[in-house]
Amino acid sequence: MTQEPILQEELKVFELHKPAWLQTHLGEFVVIVGSRVVGFHVNYESAFKAGLSAAGLGNNFLVKQVYAEEPVYLIY
Amino acid sequence: MKWRPNPSKLLLEGPHIEMLISTTRPEFEEGRAIGLEYQKLRVHALIDTGASLTVINPQIASTCKLLQTDWNRITTVGGMADRFPAYAAAISFPGTDLPGFDVIRVVACPIIEQRFFSCLIGRDILRKWFLTYDGPNGEIEIRAS
Repeated sequence: MTQEPILQEELKVFELHKPAWLQTHLGEFVVIVGSRVVGFHVNYESAFKAGLSAAGLGNNFLVKQVYAEEPVYLIY
Repeated sequence: MKWRPNPSKLLLEGPHIEMLISTTRPEFEEGRAIGLEYQKLRVHALIDTGASLTVINPQIASTCKLLQTDWNRITTVGGMADRFPAYAAAISFPGTDLPGFDVIRVVACPIIEQRFFSCLIGRDILRKWFLTYDGPNGEIEIRAS
């Protein structure tokens, strides 16, 4: 049995809601646990703390910044 | 902090700094309260103005049991582009007065394995620092903002 890659469920939720969030939460960090949207934060650190509190220690959750196009980070 | 590796060493190896990486402080404190053990890993990191983000060797994420929080798209100098796991970590700089980071995103990417360093300090950390690279004298100075 193949294991689904980590955070796939959360990423589907993100893509589903992204068009609406671009209007209301552009640039903010959303926290998603499973199919549940936990909330929005102005920075990664506070989003992570909220996710940890919601998901519990050792459980994965998504912290993703709301952008129209996913940034491509350059490593030179 | 200021250090002087000498001009030849600086030319060969680039400016690198020792750092401690571990699971985030909130996880560390919560986990210790219930008896969990976490490892702090001492690594060398290249200060890389060409890196948008701070990058670690994937083995570090596994050793330190970092929690994955996203996937990020990375393009490297050779044009390789792919999605790599992003983790939450804590980073500090032992033996310096530079402030550490209790929660910071790092990306695990295997492109940087070689002998002088196993991480890249990217511009996400550099945005908090003043960095002086003195090539003729082989000297590096970092000040926190």
